[in-house]
Amino acid sequence: MTVSTRPRRIVGLAATLALVAAACGGDDDSPVATDPPPATEAAPDPTDPPDEDDDEPVDPDDGDAGDAGDDGDDGDDGGDGGDTGRSGIIEVPADHETIQAAVDAAEPGDLILIAPGVYHEAVDVTTDELTIRGVDRNEVVLDGEFELDNGIRVLGANGVAVENMTAVNYSRNGFYWTGVQGFRGSYLTSYRTGDYGIYAFDSTDGQFEHSYAAGSADAGYYIGQCFPCNAVIFDVISEHNGLGYSGTNAGGNLLIVNSTFRNNRAGIVPNTGSYQLCYPERETTIVGNTVHSNNQPDTPAISVALLAMGNGILPAGGVRNTIERNLVFDHDRTGIGLVPFLEENPNDVIPPPEDWDRPCDEQRLDPVADDVPESLLWDPSENRVVGNVVSESGEADLAVASAGTDLSTLGNCFSDNTFTTTAPTELETLAPCDGEGSGDWTDGDLEVIRWLGEVETRPAAVDYREAALPERPVLDNMPDAASAPARPAVDVPMTIDLDAIEVPERP
Amino acid sequence: MAGVLALSAALSSCGVVGTADAVANAAPDAPINGPQGRVPQFIASCAVSHFAFDDPIVHPGHAGASHQHVFFGNEAVTASVGYDELLGAPTTCDQRLDTASYWTPVLLDPRGQRIDPTGAVAYYRPGAGVDHTTLVPYPPDLKMVAGDAEADGEQPLSVVAWSCGVSAVRSVVPTECPGRSTLRLLVTFPDCWDGERTWTASPDDRHVVYSSAGECPDSHPVPIPQLQLAVDHPPVDPDGLSLSSGAITTGHGDFWNAWDQDKLVNEVQNCLHRGITCNVSAN
Repeated sequence: MTVSTRPRRIVGLAATLALVAAACGGDDDSPVATDPPPATEAAPDPTDPPDEDDDEPVDPDDGDAGDAGDDGDDGDDGGDGGDTGRSGIIEVPADHETIQAAVDAAEPGDLILIAPGVYHEAVDVTTDELTIRGVDRNEVVLDGEFELDNGIRVLGANGVAVENMTAVNYSRNGFYWTGVQGFRGSYLTSYRTGDYGIYAFDSTDGQFEHSYAAGSADAGYYIGQCFPCNAVIFDVISEHNGLGYSGTNAGGNLLIVNSTFRNNRAGIVPNTGSYQLCYPERETTIVGNTVHSNNQPDTPAISVALLAMGNGILPAGGVRNTIERNLVFDHDRTGIGLVPFLEENPNDVIPPPEDWDRPCDEQRLDPVADDVPESLLWDPSENRVVGNVVSESGEADLAVASAGTDLSTLGNCFSDNTFTTTAPTELETLAPCDGEGSGDWTDGDLEVIRWLGEVETRPAAVDYREAALPERPVLDNMPDAASAPARPAVDVPMTIDLDAIEVPERP
Repeated sequence: MAGVLALSAALSSCGVVGTADAVANAAPDAPINGPQGRVPQFIASCAVSHFAFDDPIVHPGHAGASHQHVFFGNEAVTASVGYDELLGAPTTCDQRLDTASYWTPVLLDPRGQRIDPTGAVAYYRPGAGVDHTTLVPYPPDLKMVAGDAEADGEQPLSVVAWSCGVSAVRSVVPTECPGRSTLRLLVTFPDCWDGERTWTASPDDRHVVYSSAGECPDSHPVPIPQLQLAVDHPPVDPDGLSLSSGAITTGHGDFWNAWDQDKLVNEVQNCLHRGITCNVSAN
């Protein structure tokens, strides 16, 4: 593909000059910011028209949409037969050649329906309540060709749903929401990306479901910097990523359920750090997941993934998390490990426990401490680990650890798990979730600080562009993709009956 | 004031500091630090492109005329390269449409051996207190220098600083860092433009200055994103370090806007104007 940059440069210069004129013009009543971004119709993004079947628009009633994958757990799939008048429906490439042009032309509530093809675009979305949908999940492919940054990036636009498509080869993220209230990613496939696969930052009220992410250097799925997040990750697969899931400073009605995290460097890793807002990570609920074999040595990986490698569920410096009824097996280090995060060179101090209930919107306004220490020790505190089935762990099936703190003071508890080994030993006797514990907390300490020294012995990160990945799988489509009505992310998150979730069967 | 004037004079080699009316804006009001996300931003993370004794801004067309620099971003940069040659060239940045060039002097150990950076992060944000909705993208071909290559004393911490990793703690010279901490050089660039010129070589007539109290001066009324360039080095003993430009206090940085201009405009509008944290640097 060759794309001329000349028209884009001219437009860019013109836009710059226009903005300068606005800023220098002295017209205080016409601030630049209140103007909408200039229309981009004159500056098409570097996009090829679909290069497969590009001689005809797809018949929305053709193909396999509706044939596959109604697994019965998504009972809200519309199905009223579609809108034959096409009002509020913008088709790509029939109505607009590019996804970006369609998005820019759309109004809140519209459905953008994308025909099969390969789209070399990095789409930015700034309009609320759009539904952006591929007609066929496996054949609507956004390809960044290792040059473009994000497949679809939603910037402060609330209630945008992205459904039924694939993003591959982006230098940053496959699908990304930032600064929004209301997000949904459904039936998405993200494959081979430089940072995250499916990603929400500084965003609340959303869900990721029926999706697949592989080959991300950071995490396949990420929800971060939110409290309460009010978000759900449901029925997803994450494999061959640096981390299966990561969520820095996230939590509060944040559920990760009924999903599979396998063959990543590490599995589910909620984590804390003061380099971004709303610390610590807290109140993430992890239930009914299958987490196994997260020792994968040949994935792309950020440095934290090297440190976390060989662990199944690893809240690092997290508090008040609930980890119940997960099936966890085959990990070099721990199956479920509550570990500290030793943050060197922090940006603030650790907030006191009475601040852990404060919403992110309020907490983010706090001034930063004047006197910041050289390091912070974020201990895992007040986490509940109950009813999990954990086996085949190299160091311990269940573990809690610190770097000097008396573990008996941290308030973590373990009950009704199926396991063979723990660190410290007799962990369910030391720290039951009901009643008083007893025993010696120093017996069998994990001595987790040694992991820091072992980072350099871990297999090196692999360039995300070259990592050996399983072939991109052909996966279920959403029901009735071509005909289901628009469904912006205003009804999220879905309701989850946590009590009904059982420990998964071993695959 | 004397210190500021000395700084103005010393910065002359980099073509940054000049007229009396702008002296008050020779540095930001305070160092920029703290957790990311408090103000909108977009960033680019860039590997080292190359090393050269070139400075295409201060000594254009004269290969080998400069002290040694380490270049990040655009891989086509030479002492004599032109703006048009930079467009579309390969970049070492993860944001592949960031084909701008960034460069700083090289860190040297007590024996004068080069300590190669591990990479750099370019943070683009509003200057402190500046209305983010008013920011104007850099014009194509804008060139800026920040810091003083010939400083004979400490520079303002708000312009040139050192830190251990991403710590909020800043110092005017490198300090002993805990554990395996990396050493970071931070250079903060001017964020007010005169709206006309893309470069001025004269120290008495500069084209960019710093905002103060959230405002740009009348002489330079156009608020532009405040670039903070962070250059990361491996863990190192701070004793006896110097820079290729001279003493360890001679830190400075150069920026040449050769971004894909459409992408730059897009990021300013969609990230900064909309108040969005478009991405963060993890550590």
